[in-house]
Amino acid sequence: MAAFLARRIAQGVVVVALVATLVFVLIHIAPGDPFSASMDNPSIDEAVRARWRASYGLDRPLVEQYVHYVMNVFRGDLGFSFSMQRPVAHALAAALPNTLLLMAAGLIGGFGLGIASAIAQVRNRGRAADRALGFVSLTLFSVPDFWLALLLLVAFAYWIPIFPIGGAADPIMHEMLGPVGRIADRLEHVVLPALTLTLLYYPLIARHQRAALLDALPSDYITTARAKGVPESAILRRHALSNALLPVITLLGVAFPALLTGAVFVEKVFSWPGMGLLIVGSIGSRDYPLLTAAVILASAFVVAGSILADTLYRRVDPRLRDER
Amino acid sequence: MVDLAPIDTLLCASVTPPDRRALVFILALTLSACEDRSTPPGGKPAGGTLVISVGGDPESLLPPVSSTVPSKILGDLVYDHLAEIGDSMNTVGDAGFRPRLAKSWSWAADSLSIAFNLDSAARWHDGIPVRATDVRFTWQVYSDPATGSPSAAAVASIDSVTAPDSLTAVFWFGERSPMQFYDAVNEMSILPEHVLRGVSGQALRTSPIARAPVGSGRFRFVRWTPGQSVELAADTTNYRGRPGLDRVIMTIAPDFNTALTRVVGGEADMLEQVPASSLADVAKDTNLRVILTPGLDYNFVQFNLNDRRARGRPHALFGDRALRRALTMAIDRRSVVRNAYDSLADNAIGPTVRAYPTTDPALRQIPFSPDAARRALDSLGWKDTDGDGIRERGGTRLEFNLAVPSSSKGRNTMAVLMQEQLRQVGAKVNIYPLDFAAFIDRETKRDFDAVLGGWHVEASPGGIRGTWGSAAATSGNNYGSYRNASFDAHVDSGLAAPTLDERRAHFTIAYQTIIDDAPAIWLAEPRRVMALHRRITTSGLRPDAWWANVADWTIPPDRRIARDRTTAAR
Amino acid sequence: MNADFPLLPSSVLRASRRLIARDRSAIFAAALLIAIALPCALAPIAAPYDPNAQPDIIGLQSTPPSLAHPLGTDPFSRDVMSRLLYGGRLSLTVAIFATLVSVTLGTAYGAAAGYTNGIAGTVLQRILDALLSIPRLLLLIAIFAAWRDMPLAGFVVMLGLTGWYGLARLVRGQVLALKAQEFVASAEALGATRMRIFMRHILPNVATPVVVAATLGIGHVIVLEAGLSWLGIGVRQPTASWGNMIQDGSDQIAAHWWISLFPGMAIVLTVMAFNVLGDSLLRALSPRRSMTG
Repeated sequence: MAAFLARRIAQGVVVVALVATLVFVLIHIAPGDPFSASMDNPSIDEAVRARWRASYGLDRPLVEQYVHYVMNVFRGDLGFSFSMQRPVAHALAAALPNTLLLMAAGLIGGFGLGIASAIAQVRNRGRAADRALGFVSLTLFSVPDFWLALLLLVAFAYWIPIFPIGGAADPIMHEMLGPVGRIADRLEHVVLPALTLTLLYYPLIARHQRAALLDALPSDYITTARAKGVPESAILRRHALSNALLPVITLLGVAFPALLTGAVFVEKVFSWPGMGLLIVGSIGSRDYPLLTAAVILASAFVVAGSILADTLYRRVDPRLRDER
Repeated sequence: MVDLAPIDTLLCASVTPPDRRALVFILALTLSACEDRSTPPGGKPAGGTLVISVGGDPESLLPPVSSTVPSKILGDLVYDHLAEIGDSMNTVGDAGFRPRLAKSWSWAADSLSIAFNLDSAARWHDGIPVRATDVRFTWQVYSDPATGSPSAAAVASIDSVTAPDSLTAVFWFGERSPMQFYDAVNEMSILPEHVLRGVSGQALRTSPIARAPVGSGRFRFVRWTPGQSVELAADTTNYRGRPGLDRVIMTIAPDFNTALTRVVGGEADMLEQVPASSLADVAKDTNLRVILTPGLDYNFVQFNLNDRRARGRPHALFGDRALRRALTMAIDRRSVVRNAYDSLADNAIGPTVRAYPTTDPALRQIPFSPDAARRALDSLGWKDTDGDGIRERGGTRLEFNLAVPSSSKGRNTMAVLMQEQLRQVGAKVNIYPLDFAAFIDRETKRDFDAVLGGWHVEASPGGIRGTWGSAAATSGNNYGSYRNASFDAHVDSGLAAPTLDERRAHFTIAYQTIIDDAPAIWLAEPRRVMALHRRITTSGLRPDAWWANVADWTIPPDRRIARDRTTAAR
Repeated sequence: MNADFPLLPSSVLRASRRLIARDRSAIFAAALLIAIALPCALAPIAAPYDPNAQPDIIGLQSTPPSLAHPLGTDPFSRDVMSRLLYGGRLSLTVAIFATLVSVTLGTAYGAAAGYTNGIAGTVLQRILDALLSIPRLLLLIAIFAAWRDMPLAGFVVMLGLTGWYGLARLVRGQVLALKAQEFVASAEALGATRMRIFMRHILPNVATPVVVAATLGIGHVIVLEAGLSWLGIGVRQPTASWGNMIQDGSDQIAAHWWISLFPGMAIVLTVMAFNVLGDSLLRALSPRRSMTG
């Protein structure tokens, strides 16, 4: 197990390095000096510029610049964000918890609703309820992330104005609230973005879970259970579900990129101050140091997610332990 | 000396129109219904929080080097001028000016110097008294070319500032001019020498005080969390009295739409500029009132007359006056403005606003005529020889990039409309939406073909020297580098003229010159439509700076909401 | 199965035939796709107006659906219906060509990875693992943010270049499985060249999962293109795409719903149809692997 983990992590590091290289090269061979927007800004002090030039070695050949960048990254120096007027690392550190909170909420909501929907479908399989639920999840599976977010925004901004519709907390009141008030304020703000992410993400779970449940149902031990007179719902709950959860765990690996993509759009629509909003914001402000670092960090999370999923899967399924 | 006619007093409206078509109705109503006028805070218990919603961070909080509106608002609340322009908006002589840091002033017999007597009670927010040497230091910062202040041109008429004693600052002028008092007090926010000493030039912009100002105004700076908020608190021991509000918070949304939803959603109290497309939503909100003020803004497509790469060379397209005029003819400016702003804007008539008494609204415009534009382009040798719908001449395509600040809904809309109208005459426009900071950056570096720019003008028409004058062509705010000596001369003569009629005559010639040269396509003069929470009682909203009297705004105790009652947490 | 002379798409044809016989949802999805794609393909004939024309920017600004403009007009007085058709033509073309790029690359790479033995094969597999971990949307955002001037063809190629990894893995797995089968071994024993074996025996058997993946992939690219255009870094004004049409009305959905609603619905219906079709194909091939109800 340890060897497996070590190999996966080593592999993951290589992947992140590959992404970093790709993004770095793409941005550096793009027309125009990628850092010109920030380097030539009159509001940037000469000392700061000198520091940047030194840290990026912009007059050097691409390969050398790349080596510099990589070394800086290893030292924890991700560069200076011109649009945020602070080090990239600080900007990312401030945004990351918000995105993780949103993704965790979406993950829990997505898995919960997905599994529930799948069970309901399998219990009513072949009937109208199955088809209706299948249709709903198929529809949501086909909806562009940003469009669903926009529709929910309009619905809750204009028709059912019960939740705040932007930001991660009340911009003013949050600071003044007590601990309970702060949590309540946070929760109130997270509802809409988390709901959107849940709705975007649950069809993926539901579709796979349903298929896995149907796969598990005809197994021998379930047939035995049925022969013993165990009621259908109990069979589903106790036997089929525990067995069918396994394939769904692998979805964790798929979940991260999907959640991240969703988060980019959901954060943009609901102004949720996370990584997605940073990334989208850095497009308009041409804040390349920020953009590069955010994409690298995001792919590190995707890699970590897939390692987590693999590890879990191996722990749950003993057959896999001897493979490879 | 002559008092200039006051511009239209502020209009205010508080109606709830059923839909967008009721705009006209609002405009009609504003002329009669005005609910609150100057309401001094005296007697009323102070308290409450004003939350201003903006769509982007202020650039800097150091007045000499900031030019965006959010920076200006905060700078004017934290810092003081020597005296403040009055509600009459007079800029000639000192009539109507109200004392601020200067308790009083006296003119020398020859009018070549003005002595300001500082208020002895005035203290910086760190407790140190405000001294005349601070005033002298401030003038040095503003006029130092190394500072690169956009206001440098405006204070150029001041020869020197001396401090004969600790509470007297004397301004010396090279020559008498009608607006020398205005020049002395309006442009400069007095800065604390003891905090800034030793910092100069570029270092000012990145000095700590640019992010955490120490002023003498009635609000003191508390904190700035980039991308989130800037918080100011009442300076309770201020020499001019405690402000009516406890706190002023500027909440920074990542984009304009969020800034709007915060106000509609009740998380903020005020939005400075409501776009026409959202007015219906704002007007429906019973917690908000809509305040309309005449515009002191105008926007335009500004052509870069120089090549964006090689500064010395004229631009391949826009170096040619005739081409600029032809492109202007292709734009149906009336319809474009109407589409983007509904009835909330007039057509700009030049690099000026109608509110100035020096503006003649009947200036001769380049007429809208696509046919004339096509004929002009034909005769200039721009022909579509390869049949792709785009004209070319000598291997150069009639194609250019138009940078637009993505935060401005109105300007983005106008860009798409003009793109199509220019296509009709065979010119191709590529629209580049940019974040506001990146947009300003492009402008100052002169790295653009054309920008959809805009200016918020000041009480005096003299600011035009800094935005369209030759002196500002290389490094100032004249981003397109338009140069015309005759224009410069008439602006200067106009500003020096002693009577309104003479001023107006000179400015009319200057405006006509620049309109005919077409360094820009003049688009809209938007009215300012603010949304403000009803519980807030305003006081004297000055057209050029609605925030000038925020310290006198109040919130009646019985109408306060949760955020008014909490005090700043540490 | 005729192992010696397989028709390339025979398995696909057979699967399709089975579908038509049994699967009503597939027929419905196919019909829906034709109903959407045909008018889009014929946009120059079918569209009532020039999609970029702004006939009356005052009088026709954001007008609700009417007889003259069945889906209303946008803030620039352009006809939403015409833009929907032209935009659909563009969105579908972009999606189809991008998918072609990824299918070609994915099949080639997957086959190569599956067919190569030894260290080279392992390396190809590891590279694939790495590529699979790249968040596609973020990579595309980085690319298009830096390359603002990218022409449409470049846009399509980039969408394709970032979308082939999943398919490559699938194809590799298929090839590995087929390699172990008897008919391949016997062909090898008969002295057939590797290339011949690949073209004759392996490729036809890989075709079906490729078609399934392509069908699902088109839907995915449509959503991706819409998202990028909505962010302002995809298809740019004045050219219409479903994504930037939604952008045109995003800030006024409540007041002028028709501007964003119709392109949004067009995306949902099209993507749904592709998903149902892909699912049905999958079901026809391996009845137990269905994912929809």
